[in-house]
Amino acid sequence: MENRNEVLVLGAGLAGLTAAWQASIQGKKVRLLTKGWGATHWHAGCVDVLGYWPLDNEEVVNNPSSAIPQLLETNPDHPYARVGLERLSDALSAFQKLCADAGYPMVGTLDKNWQLPTAVGSVRPTCLAPTTMTAGEVDDKGPILLVGFKQYADFHPHMIADNLKGLGIPTQHVVLDLPAVASRHNTTGIILANMMEQTEFLGDVVKAVRPHLGDSQRVGFPAVLGMRKASAVHQSLQNQLERPVFEIPGLPPSVAGIRLHYILKDAIEKNGGRVFEGMEGIGCETENGRVTAVFSETASRNRSHRYQQYVLATGGILGGGIVTDHTGLVREVIFDLPLDTPESRQEWFQRDFLDVKGHPIYRSGVVVNDELRPIGDDKRVLYENLLAAGTTLAGCEVIRERAFDGVALATGYAAGNLVAT
Amino acid sequence: MNTTNIWEAQLTIEDHDHKPVELSLDQCIKCNICVTACPVTAVTDLFPGPKYEGPQAGRFRHPGQRTPDHSVDYCNGCRVCNMVCPTGVRIAEINGRARGDIVQGGQVSRQHKLRNNLIARPELLGKLGQPVAPLANLVLHSGFGRFFAKLTLDIAPEAPLPRFANERFSSWAKKRTEKVQSDRKVVYFHGCSTEYYEARVGKAAVQVLEANGFEVLIPPQNCCGLPLLSNGEFEAAQAYHESNISKLIDYVKQGYVIVGTSTSCTLTLKEEAPELLSYYTEDAQLLAANTFDINEFLVHLLDDGQLKSDDLKPIPFTLAYHPPCQYRAHRIGRPSVEIMDVIPELTIIESQAACCGIGGTYGYKAEKIGISNDVGQPLFDFVQEINGPIAVCDSETCRWNIAATTGVPFVHPIELLAAAYGYDVEGPLAEVIS
Repeated sequence: MENRNEVLVLGAGLAGLTAAWQASIQGKKVRLLTKGWGATHWHAGCVDVLGYWPLDNEEVVNNPSSAIPQLLETNPDHPYARVGLERLSDALSAFQKLCADAGYPMVGTLDKNWQLPTAVGSVRPTCLAPTTMTAGEVDDKGPILLVGFKQYADFHPHMIADNLKGLGIPTQHVVLDLPAVASRHNTTGIILANMMEQTEFLGDVVKAVRPHLGDSQRVGFPAVLGMRKASAVHQSLQNQLERPVFEIPGLPPSVAGIRLHYILKDAIEKNGGRVFEGMEGIGCETENGRVTAVFSETASRNRSHRYQQYVLATGGILGGGIVTDHTGLVREVIFDLPLDTPESRQEWFQRDFLDVKGHPIYRSGVVVNDELRPIGDDKRVLYENLLAAGTTLAGCEVIRERAFDGVALATGYAAGNLVAT
Repeated sequence: MNTTNIWEAQLTIEDHDHKPVELSLDQCIKCNICVTACPVTAVTDLFPGPKYEGPQAGRFRHPGQRTPDHSVDYCNGCRVCNMVCPTGVRIAEINGRARGDIVQGGQVSRQHKLRNNLIARPELLGKLGQPVAPLANLVLHSGFGRFFAKLTLDIAPEAPLPRFANERFSSWAKKRTEKVQSDRKVVYFHGCSTEYYEARVGKAAVQVLEANGFEVLIPPQNCCGLPLLSNGEFEAAQAYHESNISKLIDYVKQGYVIVGTSTSCTLTLKEEAPELLSYYTEDAQLLAANTFDINEFLVHLLDDGQLKSDDLKPIPFTLAYHPPCQYRAHRIGRPSVEIMDVIPELTIIESQAACCGIGGTYGYKAEKIGISNDVGQPLFDFVQEINGPIAVCDSETCRWNIAATTGVPFVHPIELLAAAYGYDVEGPLAEVIS
């Protein structure tokens, strides 16, 4: 009988979630398996498309749409070359519409990167940022008041303030010691984000901040201004403090990243897709150039999943989609796909830990054609019903390039559409 | 590759190295995702969080060394930490074994040890209480009985105690005259809750399996031992597990699989007992490999186009469904939802809540019921918001807990399928389906 299961996506980072979202809005019956929560919980909740190029000079990119063609000239196997600039742009637009419809606008264009402060007060170039963050732009030299919470140890306003002053931005800081926060021994970003959604607590924050406002023109907070109601919390703070407010994302788990996780997961489920957590893909079965099943680990045996099409979005070495061992083995976990990777273990690393050239091992990835189908050395498609997306792909070094989210969104978007047509 | 039918037991054991769960702590990258997902940490400082208790404190728990703190006992065992961990650390099991060390080291008060040993023995309670059900129900649900239980054993007076059934499930099963005979046989594991409290769940399971052409065998069996495992009483738990293996293994060796309706019992047979007890005999592994949750089993039939899904009676309701944390720990997705999808006109709205709070026996303890209720609050709110005539959950203690707090009666998903198949239903479902 016809297999009633249409698309299986493996991995719940930005690429996997985007692929599942796109396939599901086109009417496909989609299931997504993930080992745990994905990269969304680790990243800043922005969309970095290209932050640094050329890499060796660590030159900051101001205009991704003019820098990407240069990137592709020297790096023709980059995932952006596979999907093309037009699809990257379509992916960003679709994602912006999704977020805006969810009441959490992500703003920016491919023509200009934001330059936003990091949790140590350095600058990060990013293409799309939520409206809760954009008032932190460092090109704007307006004075800043930074607000921290005594019990929230992951955010150090004095350090950020020192570094922002170095950029010519007059910056003051204040650390709040509020009874409601002090009543808890442990304070995580999630706990603070939930408290921020309570009007009374928000009022306490405003009351405590007001005496310190001075001549500041904007106020910065750690990125904990609400979880699902972030835009409302942000707006309310701006109204009450009578000036722009911005968030600075910090250590994981990142509240701003989790917001995007929820927006995408909601979109998938609204369109009839399902996301299954705690299910780790560990192997596959293939026949005549097709994937016939993927196996996942369960409590006491492996379970097979039979679908018409499969999207691999399990990430690279960081995400766990590619594993290495002490013998020099570099292996893609589910399909054992051929990888573009250094030939021997001696070539994995540069001598210096922080070498500007980066370590070759982190460029390891799956080689695909323009339809994101993994190919072998002879350029032939390995399995006609398998696509790969996200940072599992070869040809990029997304962390150094600051292209993590752009690559994930563009390839996830492309893969989701390709399996649906 | 497994190309055989799902109801045929697999008699070769998959290759596994069975490393102690503690070794997985080296995979921890300190990302804190588990801490932010933990429903207990969210409501109390008494449990600092899965990462701190598990992979971090675990480094200090050398064999033979005393566990450094008691906060680990505030883990309710929901395993949400395991589910969200991006690197595969067995956080909940590390903490479960640390609790076992505390209990073995005699670091639990005598009153609590006595209490834990009583409430963790549903089979013993059932054997004592069920034959005198009316009396036992009267006493246990009276103010005096509750007061006395608190006074003597520190059992929470407002705990959601179930009611003993007037007839045991196995007695009903024995009395049946028109059983389906078939070459396709499965063994039904009913668990203590079906046996002593909710026979209707077992009846529905038998009906659904028979409607799909299976002969249902119900051999003698005992408590799976999970309540003891989650109270750190490993020795007693192992005795129960060994007893179940000896009672069930011959059926597996004849080629029959075990199908259960209690998600925590089946999880124990599959993984919790072998893993927490480091008990990997060949028979234990065979039993584990051939145990199924009933909806997991039915989804395999559905995927193969073999599930009876024609001429089903519509169940025209919108119902809240909570996939229990014990169920998610099977790592099989959410098969009950896929099965309920088959029922015409039934709309299921899934809860996004991590846990109902009860944690098996956790919420029955006077010092923990407050935490249990705080953990469950988002779920209680959800169930009341959906406001169906009934709601759905696979796990018995979760059903009792959520029903007691919200006032919404709960059923097992298999009862809905049995009703859609046209069988007479009992309990809360009977009152809403005419």
